[in-house]
Amino acid sequence: MNDKLTLKKDHLPAFLRKLSKDYRLVAPIKNRHGDTIFTRIDSSNSASLDLDNQPQNSIKQFMLPQREVLFSYHAKTETGYEFNPTDQINEPTIFFGVRSCDLSAILYMDVTFLQGITDSHYLEKRTNSVFIGLNCNQPFANCFCNATKSGPFLEFGADLQFTDIGDRFLVEVGRSKGIKIVEKWGHFFSAAEEKENKQQYQAFLEARGSFTRLVHVDQAIKRLQENSVPEKVWNQLSLRCQDCGGCAYICPTCTCFTITDCPLTKNTGERIRSWDACTFSGFTRMTGGHNPVSKKTEAIRQRFMHKLCYDVKKHGRPSCVGCGRCVDICFGGTDILRFINLACEGS
Amino acid sequence: MKTLQPEDYLPRPAIIKEIITENSQIKTFVLSFANPEQNTDFSYQPGQFMMVSIPHCGEAPISFSSTPARKEMIRLSVRKAGKLTSALHELQAGAIIGLRGPYGKPFPMDYLAKRDLLFVAGGIGLAPLCSVINSCLFNPDYHGRISILYGSRTPEDIAFMGEINFWRQNPDVKCLLTVDQGTSDWHGATGVVTTLFSQTEINPEQQTAIICGPPMMIKAVISELNEMGFGDDDIITTMERHMKCGVGVCRHCHMDGKLVCVDGPVFSLRQLKELDVMEIK
Repeated sequence: MNDKLTLKKDHLPAFLRKLSKDYRLVAPIKNRHGDTIFTRIDSSNSASLDLDNQPQNSIKQFMLPQREVLFSYHAKTETGYEFNPTDQINEPTIFFGVRSCDLSAILYMDVTFLQGITDSHYLEKRTNSVFIGLNCNQPFANCFCNATKSGPFLEFGADLQFTDIGDRFLVEVGRSKGIKIVEKWGHFFSAAEEKENKQQYQAFLEARGSFTRLVHVDQAIKRLQENSVPEKVWNQLSLRCQDCGGCAYICPTCTCFTITDCPLTKNTGERIRSWDACTFSGFTRMTGGHNPVSKKTEAIRQRFMHKLCYDVKKHGRPSCVGCGRCVDICFGGTDILRFINLACEGS
Repeated sequence: MKTLQPEDYLPRPAIIKEIITENSQIKTFVLSFANPEQNTDFSYQPGQFMMVSIPHCGEAPISFSSTPARKEMIRLSVRKAGKLTSALHELQAGAIIGLRGPYGKPFPMDYLAKRDLLFVAGGIGLAPLCSVINSCLFNPDYHGRISILYGSRTPEDIAFMGEINFWRQNPDVKCLLTVDQGTSDWHGATGVVTTLFSQTEINPEQQTAIICGPPMMIKAVISELNEMGFGDDDIITTMERHMKCGVGVCRHCHMDGKLVCVDGPVFSLRQLKELDVMEIK
């Protein structure tokens, strides 16, 4: 990102209004229950933009919907069976206010769905997406993206990257989609001055120093690689896990899915892709009941090994992005933070 | 690298041309694509599998039991075990199912072509090995010797008799059967498949062993083969796991960091020993 611009905060609503004319605009919106959730912005909710709180969801659901129709089928008679791709309506979408952790998660999803294979359902949405990131000046209570090296500031991945520097945003221009936006709505932007660049760097330094949790992700990775995580850690976590799948559903990088048929009539139906969780006992169970992952400890181990060991080996970095959402959602206390802390005990 | 087509996850209609009843639980479905052009373009290798679709039942991975060398239609041998396979068993010739694939890493056929081969199978596990055996027998450049050891639960459970009778006509093939529980009219061997090792020529220097069957059988066979001096590269097996996508994304078939659908299903013992896998634990 070379070009740095600024956008006055007073001008943000008008800028977003312009964007929402050309694109579906998705941003963190505080709803009437007080929850901040990535939602499509329209005239009814645009005033509730909330850039102060961490959105409860990530943008995973927009790229890999919880339930997605892969195609429809028609078993016409005894001898007919047709498969019809469903028309995918993927509007050009701008995701605004995406935190570094969530954008890092998108980069991980790219690897999962587009490296080696091309998952056309994902590719369609990805091609139609523009990401406007927001660097985190103030990490939230359970954040540890500094330890997973996916924040608090992001150096690449966004089309435009915003940093709050007081009464304005410093705007870094990323890829061509970002250039297109600043060119089209150039009158909202001014060239950044040296003082503003310094303000951004100052904000970065302050953000980096204000994490409240000390999380030794690297140490946990090392212990998993050495296979030196004590058995009692797996036992304790497996006893606590309530098998709700909440951690996987809320996680921006958990992309395991299942595929099932959903009958609509006697002869027609849809093939559905939906979220799944490796901690569910049915995840690996084969027909006839045989299950290679028969114990809860093995399922829990798979979850953390995948995030912190297998992905490090395969992609050079863990797939936990340190967003802390599983810490918030796990009522059993089986979240990745507890695992990392237990795994590092006594070291 | 495999590139999915834009219609990814989309099966192609295939006609059941013939159904061979192998035993009370196993049927072999002889299939060709409904669109004739797709038959011409289609190729696969022994050890690979197809994702089979049945209306309202979803999909299941099934290995080829046919060989591409015989230029025959696709054969998939299926044991009736769950919802999809039971529905498949209900179908008659002429019915249409969905197929996508082929997926997975095949057996190392170029290497196997230079070796004597020892096949050890249990139950439906003979299905993917049929593909390898017949590929060798129909390969004019294959001059090795083939031993097939096949274990079934009871004489009634012995499947693939058509293939077995075909192999037994070949002087270079030795095919031995055993059952766990004999009946009064069974005059063959009784006992687990490993008891057949004493009745066959074992030569780890020249032989490569190829195994498929229930996990307990795989484990017992591997352990004996190792003791008899087979190296880890010369013990090859094919693994069964729950699968959904078949292309390495959904992760249902995870196996200690590997995915059976893309890293397998064929693995050498050397590869398996680097992993924490129930079949060899």
